[in-house]
Amino acid sequence: MKTRHSIAVIAMALMASTSGIAHGQEASKEIKIVLPEQPANLEPCGTIITNVGQILSQNVTEALTVIDAKTGLPQPKLATEWARIDDMTWRIKLRPGVKFQDGTGMDAKAVAFSIKRMTGGALTCNNMAKFGDRTLEATPVDDLTLDIKSDRPEPILPTLLSVVMVISPNTPADKPVNDPVGTGPFKLTSFDTQTVTMNRFDGYWGEKPEIEKATYVWRSESSIRAAMVETGEADLTPSIAIQDATNPETDFSYLNSETTAMRVDMSKPPLNDLRIRKALNLAIDWEGLKALFGPDVKRASQMVVPGINGHDDSLQPWEYDPAKAVELVAEAKAAGVPVDTEIVLIGRNGIYPNGGEAMEAMAAMWQTAGLNVKLTMLDVADWIRYLQKPYPEERGATLLQMMHDNNKGDSAFTIPIFYRSTGQYSTVSDPAFDAEIDTALAASGEERTKDFKAIFTKARTDVVSDIPMFHMIGYTRVGKRLDWKPDITTNSEIPLAHIHMRD
Amino acid sequence: MTAILSETSVSASPGNARVVFNCLKRDKLAFAAAIFLLILTIATLAGPPLIGDTAAKLGLRQRNLPPFSFDHGWLFFLGADTLGRPILARLIVGAQNTLGIALAAVVFSMLTGGVLGLIAGYSERWYSQVIQRVADIIMSFPSLLLALIVLYTLGPSISNLIIVLALTRIPIYLRTTRAEVLELRERMFVSAAKSMGAKPLRIVVRHIAPMVLPTLLTIAAIDFATVILAESSLSFLGLGIQPPEFTWGAMVANGRGYLANAWWISFWPGLAILLTTLSLNLLSSWARTMADPQQRWRLQSLRKASR
Amino acid sequence: MLSFIGRRASHSIISVMGLLALVFFLTRLTGDPSSLFLPLDSTAEARAAFAKLHGFDQPVYWQFLQYLRDLLSLDFGESVRQNRSAMAVALEAFPQTLKLAVVAMLLSTALALVVGSLAASRPGSLFDRVVTLVSLSGASAPDFWVAIVGILIFAVSFELLPTSGTGSYLHWILPIFVLMLRPFGLLVQVVRGAMLGALASPYIKTARAKGLRRQQIIFGHALRNSLLPVITVAGDLTSGLINGAVIVETVFGWPGIGKLMIDAIIQRDFAVVQSTILVTATAIFILNICIDLLYAVLDPRIRY
Repeated sequence: MKTRHSIAVIAMALMASTSGIAHGQEASKEIKIVLPEQPANLEPCGTIITNVGQILSQNVTEALTVIDAKTGLPQPKLATEWARIDDMTWRIKLRPGVKFQDGTGMDAKAVAFSIKRMTGGALTCNNMAKFGDRTLEATPVDDLTLDIKSDRPEPILPTLLSVVMVISPNTPADKPVNDPVGTGPFKLTSFDTQTVTMNRFDGYWGEKPEIEKATYVWRSESSIRAAMVETGEADLTPSIAIQDATNPETDFSYLNSETTAMRVDMSKPPLNDLRIRKALNLAIDWEGLKALFGPDVKRASQMVVPGINGHDDSLQPWEYDPAKAVELVAEAKAAGVPVDTEIVLIGRNGIYPNGGEAMEAMAAMWQTAGLNVKLTMLDVADWIRYLQKPYPEERGATLLQMMHDNNKGDSAFTIPIFYRSTGQYSTVSDPAFDAEIDTALAASGEERTKDFKAIFTKARTDVVSDIPMFHMIGYTRVGKRLDWKPDITTNSEIPLAHIHMRD
Repeated sequence: MTAILSETSVSASPGNARVVFNCLKRDKLAFAAAIFLLILTIATLAGPPLIGDTAAKLGLRQRNLPPFSFDHGWLFFLGADTLGRPILARLIVGAQNTLGIALAAVVFSMLTGGVLGLIAGYSERWYSQVIQRVADIIMSFPSLLLALIVLYTLGPSISNLIIVLALTRIPIYLRTTRAEVLELRERMFVSAAKSMGAKPLRIVVRHIAPMVLPTLLTIAAIDFATVILAESSLSFLGLGIQPPEFTWGAMVANGRGYLANAWWISFWPGLAILLTTLSLNLLSSWARTMADPQQRWRLQSLRKASR
Repeated sequence: MLSFIGRRASHSIISVMGLLALVFFLTRLTGDPSSLFLPLDSTAEARAAFAKLHGFDQPVYWQFLQYLRDLLSLDFGESVRQNRSAMAVALEAFPQTLKLAVVAMLLSTALALVVGSLAASRPGSLFDRVVTLVSLSGASAPDFWVAIVGILIFAVSFELLPTSGTGSYLHWILPIFVLMLRPFGLLVQVVRGAMLGALASPYIKTARAKGLRRQQIIFGHALRNSLLPVITVAGDLTSGLINGAVIVETVFGWPGIGKLMIDAIIQRDFAVVQSTILVTATAIFILNICIDLLYAVLDPRIRY
């Protein structure tokens, strides 16, 4: 009797709950987004961190400019126009009539405050990484005009300004915050250990978004994120693994601005020999490897994706030619290169989906080509020691798994880091190459593009300090209620204003 | 592992191995478990040389090959993994690492824990207190977290993995040994030895340790299972054994992302873990019954009943 | 009795202090948080500034002394990543895990007592064998594997349960089930073993001879006497439950302290690691004292 009773209770509860789920789904204009990771904080100065940017950027906070995904050029946002008034100074005109979500008006003083808060050094600001060691000084000229002065000529300042989030001057200047107030179309309403929620901000200066409320949750397993969208528990998840992207109606792929590569340590034998470095490129079965990342990834010949200023469409990637690879290794051996020296292949756990498998596969292929490659998988903190200068003294010949994400429109965020002798990740040291890079960085317009292309060509053909792998693809699952498709910016932002409901 | 088996059996019945075998045969579950472990041991020792490199050989064109087909050879009967390598071959080769790590960790923690427990139980000096407090500390340290911290510090190599897994299990043996020693040292034969002038070391080694050993071995059998699962959890968190080395636990962890569309990648290693740990648990509970004079009649009467 | 509690408490405090010191120095060995907290392309100056801001540039022993000093004023440090008090972060997550753990342990102990007793009452029967096989299988399967398969079957294929998260009590079913597997499996074996021992003892034979009913004998007499080992094992399993909780919380997105502490060490958020350990260790020590007291209640022979 008792058991029967409890079964009935459970059954009723089940029915009640399933109808509850269905109900939640119909409550229109509210959406739920499931992210892979919990945002540790919501500090607006950390929007270049994927899980912070995907929540805040373009929703709660906005910048002066925004990068056009197709051309890589800066477009107006909170700034309406800009001009270079001398080598060091840019003059910025601000959009009139913009209000912060706390009611304060957005003016030159507020922008100067935001720039100062970011560059002042009083708090740890992740976005500063994009500026390197530059210093900026912002001076209001009038209410809606300000001058930004840099310590060296800065031809792409408007591009850089796309990472400066403009926030209310009531924000503490010396303390990180978790409740940012910006000018965006959504106002943050709560942030706890399970969700972030935001509601539409009615005082928004631009077009009113269709979505009224958005809730963000997080689950680390891709299969569970995919399942949540499938069952209607969530409406959108920005990244699922390729094996979960099985439904062409809901799963969309997008080129995500990430380029995977192996960095070759050019200072250590046998990797200091050009033939060996070429052989490394030739020994990989690129078509076979592609199977790990999905049919849509693009084979890479350079470290930036198409659409970034400086990308050379005509530059061809290395082909798979195992015979040639073996031949080059033999040739190097005959010339006295110690090809039997152990080469350590350093992978990083969880760097990208199937990254560990890719390393196992590549190690096996290089061994087939006659190279003594040994795989070591490291955790981030250990891996970084090999990624950045100063490199560990005791290292031998190393190949390093890496991924580069340049979504900022210009090759200046790539070339000096990888190829200049002072570059943080560089193993190249060639004064002539340095000079070429410096010339390119100071140039502007078509000259700049042409110089960058020449540098990528030289890096691919004559220097070979890296093994570009693929321009990666991300997969999103979008519930049937929504009309939205991911694009190259999806890894850094998901503008709710671009999401529409299907009726 | 076989060592544990035979040891427990021997301790269960010091006399007649035949009787033990007969009892084992009567308990069908335990008998099946013993046969499975026997086959597993043979496969682990003899398999890898036969299989050679096949377990590591890439086959990117046959990624996630479904199971139950002989088209690619018998090694592919259980399907292929995400890099197109035969799962059956990998199970056999992976058994070495899986069982080796677990065995080493269990033996290491049993010996260390046992010795420390003997000291802590028999001696009343200050270090007895220290040992107990340290055991308390490790017990209250969530073992997964401790494992992560140590692996981050030392790096995730196989030997470090063994150290970490052993470290987290030591207190179990320590506390059990100490409890038994506290009871044993009050018994007659110890007092007798003491009054005859035996040195403490001799009493502990000759009289007390042999009495504690059976209990420790039973715990070890269960712990073996715990360690395999703990190693698997570490792989789930990304800090278990690192490729190109692999264990069953790592195979389950790596295949978990494919459960929805290529279930076999993590199912077979999961099944292998389950069967192995299940067999060990079954045998250990059988051995406990055998060792208990109050319970032993059950196994023997089973024989009568079934006649 | 009181002196016993006092002695145990002082032991516990010594252990907690030792644990804190151990955690403090061990975590510092795992590497530099700035390389993980700052983006890969930040400059060396930015890293140095970060280290200075959070005191990581000081010698470790000095950092420890400062930590101890702050502890005296109940300041447990700031979470580097979450911009707020580390203890607040830990205390917010702890109840979530406690809820899971209490429900899972109570359920598995209760179930194990019933199932294990029934199995022991007819040793060697089909029921006994099935119980042994099923409970041990549950305890032998990797928990994250069971969790994901459970979601795929019950949430995706049959749409009976939500995939993950918290909210309605339906959200509890899968996490509790996964968390129960191991304690239940092991406890059933312990209950069964203890019951077999108790049922074979002379006083039960007496009871039987007196003509008491089977049920009465099992649940009235034998069970009471086999509770002690069950409580010991259940206590140990509860302390170990935090490991299962890590996996369950990770898979189901349950905002508990297990996942928090693992995330914190992965991201080298040291103050949070220390605070979570302090909270869980204190809970475990309190639990152990309670278990000792429970012994005294159940077994009048034990006196402290």
